[in-house]
Amino acid sequence: MRLVFSVNGTKREVDPPPAASLLSVLRDDLGLTGTRFGCGSGQCGACSVIVDGRAVASCLMPARQAVDREITTIEGLATGEALHPVQEAFIAEDAMQCGYCTSGMIIAAAALLARDTAPDEAAIRDALAGNLCRCGVYGRAIRAVQRAAGTRAVAAGSSPAMYR
Amino acid sequence: MNVEERIRIEPDGSVTAFSGKIEFGQGIRTAFAQLVANELDVPVERVRVVLGDTAQVPFDFGTFGSNSVAQEAPALRLAAAFARRSLIGRASAQLGIPAARLDTKGGTIGDGDGRRISYADLVRDAPLAGAVPEDEPLLPPERWRHIGTPLARVEARDIVTGRARYTADVRLDRLARGAIARPPVRGARATRVDDRAARAVPGVIAVVHDGDIVGVVAEREEQARAAADALEIDWETPQRASSETQVVPMREDAGTDAALASAALTRSATYTLPSIASASIGPSAAVVDVRSDGATVYAGTHRPFGLRDAVAGSVGLPKESVRVMPQMSSGTYGRSSAPDVSVEAAVLSKHARRPVLVQWSRAEEFAHSPSRPEAVLEVTAGLDASGHMVAWRYDEHTNVHTAAGPDPRVAAMTSGRNAVPPYTIPSARVVLHVEPTPLRTANFRSLAAAENVFAIESFVDELAHASQQDPLAFRLRHVDDPRLRRVIERVAEVSAYGKKLPARHGHGFACTLYHGTYVAQVAEVEVAASGAVRVLRVWCVVDPGLVINPEGVRNQVEGGIQQSASWTLLEELRHKDGRVATTSWDMYPIATFRDAPESIEVLVEGDRGAPSTGVGEPGAVPTSAAIANAVFAACGARVRDVPLTPERVRKGMPAGAG
Repeated sequence: MRLVFSVNGTKREVDPPPAASLLSVLRDDLGLTGTRFGCGSGQCGACSVIVDGRAVASCLMPARQAVDREITTIEGLATGEALHPVQEAFIAEDAMQCGYCTSGMIIAAAALLARDTAPDEAAIRDALAGNLCRCGVYGRAIRAVQRAAGTRAVAAGSSPAMYR
Repeated sequence: MNVEERIRIEPDGSVTAFSGKIEFGQGIRTAFAQLVANELDVPVERVRVVLGDTAQVPFDFGTFGSNSVAQEAPALRLAAAFARRSLIGRASAQLGIPAARLDTKGGTIGDGDGRRISYADLVRDAPLAGAVPEDEPLLPPERWRHIGTPLARVEARDIVTGRARYTADVRLDRLARGAIARPPVRGARATRVDDRAARAVPGVIAVVHDGDIVGVVAEREEQARAAADALEIDWETPQRASSETQVVPMREDAGTDAALASAALTRSATYTLPSIASASIGPSAAVVDVRSDGATVYAGTHRPFGLRDAVAGSVGLPKESVRVMPQMSSGTYGRSSAPDVSVEAAVLSKHARRPVLVQWSRAEEFAHSPSRPEAVLEVTAGLDASGHMVAWRYDEHTNVHTAAGPDPRVAAMTSGRNAVPPYTIPSARVVLHVEPTPLRTANFRSLAAAENVFAIESFVDELAHASQQDPLAFRLRHVDDPRLRRVIERVAEVSAYGKKLPARHGHGFACTLYHGTYVAQVAEVEVAASGAVRVLRVWCVVDPGLVINPEGVRNQVEGGIQQSASWTLLEELRHKDGRVATTSWDMYPIATFRDAPESIEVLVEGDRGAPSTGVGEPGAVPTSAAIANAVFAACGARVRDVPLTPERVRKGMPAGAG
């Protein structure tokens, strides 16, 4: 089944089995492993990608439905070495532990900020409610999204030093 | 210990440090880099830390018990300090300047007159080597540049860009995918495997039936799963060998029963906690490449050397020929002490003669992973007329808490962890009962400490109320350890414990001393008329001795509290006929962004003069009791059974409170 996708601004051609999910094509055909497998049923958010501006569970989307759509994965958020503001903010707030769910959280947050530049805390919680984190960084992730949106005053020196 | 086991100066002057501990998100790679950078006086980004690669690191028993920093910090610091002194010695010889006039700066050594040589130049001819003295002098605190400085995770940029490679992201040449056919009952063996339909699935490379393992190797994951589902298998359920309850006395003071009998006030209560899932977001995964002369294992594991031996045994290779290369791993909180998924991938790889990636499905992860055992905790205490505890009797009933299985030598420190309260009580009897279970149980964050501390700290609260004493003052009457007193008093201060709260709000307190780390917490909850509990705020003061990375400590402790709040209010693994019936997140809700407290405020107040101790587990330990005590304060319901569901809370409310 030959399919052509637009992934992170580049046209990619793949030939997966007919029932392949978008997640399996991203990870196994395109080598974009930053999108993680978590549950295969859209319940955890680890596999979130942006499709035509919306965060979706790539494990539930058949690959053939993604044809002719604009797909952005975690690998496509930064512009060269310049990180997306949400990525910068997650580092600044140390909003990660094992990091397995982080790709999905950042994707969900980036999609949120693209449609609502100044979401309140409830809107952030709602937008990320489908992204499960077992290590427990929810509070930090909320602060990171607020920081990226510029809706939270950040005191100088309030962040850990960054390691480059 | 020889320096070359721990520290290597690379030709470019950068530093590589080696440890057998594993990073699961605790931030130990970052803390170790800070420690080594500190003693070697180099920028932290010049330090690379190799963790758990069995071909490169010294033997380590395993990453558990929040012991990584406690065990490794002294060794890494000493080795790095010795390396620095050795480099100064070499510089002295090469520059012809007495060592006493030389000092380090940013990876170079020089004197005040501008003569300077780099670490790289000093190891060009011979790498550093030699035994590290146990009394190797360390840099004095005024020279510290990294210890105690908040630092973001060294892996942060890779994590936020998706470049970080977890086990399931390993891509090798000719990598195939494996899937396992699961028996209907744990321990059942396949007596007949009809693989005709499975072999017809496109992409199938091999159908494997080897010992207890039945599985399929295919080019793609979808194909392996479809083929495994297409196998027709007859299973035989073996008779389960019955085992006996192990009774382990943990403290037995003569006269406890008599002291209880003559106490002015006695109270008894029973607390229960269910079995819970480790519930990693990333299901278990391993990539194993078995060749005729050896094997390479890419996995998340708490025990790289134990895993090496298990894999070697499963495919009949000498253990020296197996290399375990731990990858970044989803947090598994103890679950990856079991070698299961790597052994499966190894057996499949051996038969397929290809490297094989096995990643469990979500249903497999819930139903076949080992889980935290349940616990029933019976406690009785007696107070004298002045309200002082004079006698304590505690019976802990639970199951084995380690992947290694029952072992009377370690039962007290594993299944019995924190069963003995941190309070001064003249007479106490504490007995652990490790009972058999058909379920697969194993290591989970803090082992039995979370269960025991829930019971002990809930019960102490009950005793305080029963004797009309303030719960905090009551505890302080029974605490001698000054560090425990300090965290208790500090958290009361920062939380304004005891202040008037709105209706249906309550403050609850709990504390613990866990593997040398002191933790005190106050939770503020709001209880709805329905019995639904919302955790609004948590304050925590933690003293883990000398702190390497305050930001890392805060993050770990916050996470422990958040995870523990989820256990406390939501989590219970369902069983049916001795099997786990839970197979998906909708059957096992955990806390989401909507449930997260408004704030979790962690004050890191480590005693700089005390050795560094761990923080991965201790933060999670007192939270259940802090929440339960807060629920009591908010609505009068004393809930002794976790999880604190709305039904239980509503039922516990005194008449008229609902």
